[in-house]
Amino acid sequence: MVNYLIRRLLIGCLTLVAITAIIYALIRSMPGSPLTLQMAEVDPSKAISEQDFQQMRRMYGLHKPIHEAYLGWLGSLCRGELGRSISRKQPVTKLIAERIGPTLALSVSSLILTYLLAVPMGLYSVVRSNRPEERCLATGLYMLYSLPSYVAALLLLVLFAVRLRGTAFELPLFGMVSDGHAQLSWWGKLADIAWHMVLPVTCYTYGALAFMARFVKSNMEEVIRQDYIRTARAKGVGSFGVIVVHAFRNTLIPFVTELGLTLPGLLSGSVILEQIFTWPGIGRLFFESIAERDYPTIMGLTLMFSLMTLVFQLLADILYAVVDPRVTFQ
Amino acid sequence: MSNPTTPVIEDRTPPPGTRAGRSRGYAADVWYQFRRRRLSMAALTFVVGLTIVAILSPAIVGTKPVICRYRGQIYFPALGYFHDRWENAVFKTRDKFRGVYPKNLTTKDPQSWAVWPLVYQDPYRRVRANEWKDQPANPSGDQGVPSQYNLFGTNQAGIDVFAQMIHGTRVALLVGLFSTGISAIIGVVVGSLAGYFRGWVDVVLSRCIEVVMSIPALVLILALISIFEKTSIWHVMGVLGLTGWTGIARLTRGEFLRLREMDFVVGARAVGASGLRIMFSHILPNATAPILVPVSFGIASAILVESALSFLGFGPPPPNPSWGTVLNAGRSNLQMWWLIVFPGSAIFLTVLAYNLIGEGLQEATDPRLRNNEK
Repeated sequence: MVNYLIRRLLIGCLTLVAITAIIYALIRSMPGSPLTLQMAEVDPSKAISEQDFQQMRRMYGLHKPIHEAYLGWLGSLCRGELGRSISRKQPVTKLIAERIGPTLALSVSSLILTYLLAVPMGLYSVVRSNRPEERCLATGLYMLYSLPSYVAALLLLVLFAVRLRGTAFELPLFGMVSDGHAQLSWWGKLADIAWHMVLPVTCYTYGALAFMARFVKSNMEEVIRQDYIRTARAKGVGSFGVIVVHAFRNTLIPFVTELGLTLPGLLSGSVILEQIFTWPGIGRLFFESIAERDYPTIMGLTLMFSLMTLVFQLLADILYAVVDPRVTFQ
Repeated sequence: MSNPTTPVIEDRTPPPGTRAGRSRGYAADVWYQFRRRRLSMAALTFVVGLTIVAILSPAIVGTKPVICRYRGQIYFPALGYFHDRWENAVFKTRDKFRGVYPKNLTTKDPQSWAVWPLVYQDPYRRVRANEWKDQPANPSGDQGVPSQYNLFGTNQAGIDVFAQMIHGTRVALLVGLFSTGISAIIGVVVGSLAGYFRGWVDVVLSRCIEVVMSIPALVLILALISIFEKTSIWHVMGVLGLTGWTGIARLTRGEFLRLREMDFVVGARAVGASGLRIMFSHILPNATAPILVPVSFGIASAILVESALSFLGFGPPPPNPSWGTVLNAGRSNLQMWWLIVFPGSAIFLTVLAYNLIGEGLQEATDPRLRNNEK
């Protein structure tokens, strides 16, 4: 076990180095630099001289060749620093800390909602397997699964933010808070944020919901063929008890593992939806920093995304062995 | 009550449609299994239909004649929609048609005739008044509700949405096929090398697959796309191809690991076939059907991501008639619902179709799934 962990951690570190090196090389090869893009915005009379430009390049370490600059980034990472954002003049860690809250609010609430809805749906489909109502549910879920989230987001916006404007069902077009948010009471603030969260959370949830309900169903179908289910039925356990207590508990392992694998995807999958809803989260931060060529922020976010992916993969694997004694680390 | 000792006689009659005494080949078997799924067949029909629309797009909607006779010569100006240079130079440079054919043809050569597309609209420019018989000018701004002249309405610049959608079919299908083609080539080569040679080759290649898989797809795609000064649709396809191969590689590797132990491979090796020959002419044909599963899902996701990129403004600059570009225009004009509903449904249906095909293939190739029929 310890051997396995050490090996996995070492491989994980190497993978991280490889990923960050690839992304660093890519973003440094993008045309334009954070400095030229900023200068393009100010009017030409205020353009800085060539001398100042070179000095600024040196200040941000942009004059070094790519591999040296990457090693420099890696070195400061070892000291626990992610550097300072060039376009926002703030430490990257602070920027990410500011932006991660809104993203987590969306992803965690949609995750909870997904699981709360997917489990009953999956169990229902197993019980009613191949009946017309189950076929309807399955088809509906499958269609939802193929509906791109950005299309759904736009359709929902057309309906709730434009067509139903002025009615009780109106939902906000963008952002996380209304204009007069600061004046609201504590409860008012919370309700305001929740009101703004309805559409984004819906868009995050429906695709995952379709996937998870199918996942629960396919796992359950394997389990209900087992002998111990027949035994339970034979000794007279009611059908609800068989499904929930005997069968579902035995599908918890893949279920929990799946949870670990969905969370990182939810964070990095936020790029498009946060852009549509102008949600001040890390997905939008990533998008903006690509446009601004803000190297330190892009690298910080890439590191976070890939670190999360690797850590959750490892956790899922360990958890798998912890709950299932048949799995060994060889 | 039946006697419990009666032996159960297994039903060994071949399924209908097979010749008795001779079993189907593997590919034929997969096709047989696939055909039985009505939804998957409907999806396949849809994709075939879409392909026909894509090929015939200049004949369905356009402003250039499909065939015309001009000054004693036969021309096919509509081919210009496929490639700029295929539009005959006579019309572009010498006689200065400036893209407006109907009036120019009759005034410059009264003897000329032409076969026109079904709908006179253009995916790249606004049609002006009286260009075509007495068809009025396309409305612009937010006035372009769907009408008899603009079936799907027009966008802010007055360009017809129906024309953009029909010509966008070409972009969508091309993106799906081309980028997944690149992914398939990379994936199959990497996966078969890893699965066939095992050992350190496998270790190195599997590590590479893992590294690429651990980078969130959109992060890698956005970083790669931003490298290009001017993005064209070919850049997008290349990037999607370079990032989407990991699933195919993993599956190919698994299939090769399994198949390389089979008798026919041992036989081929005993006869003295070279490694390359065994890999690509003995094992690969047997692995093709399972590999088509991630390929089909890959096409769906490539179409999805291309539209997403165009939608986010990372795609080729307008006037590129991609479904995502139309959708992008709708994002800033939410009251123009036709800019969202039509391209949205097109993306949805196409992705759904490829997913259903993939699903059908999965069930047709996986013996565990096909044997427990209701």
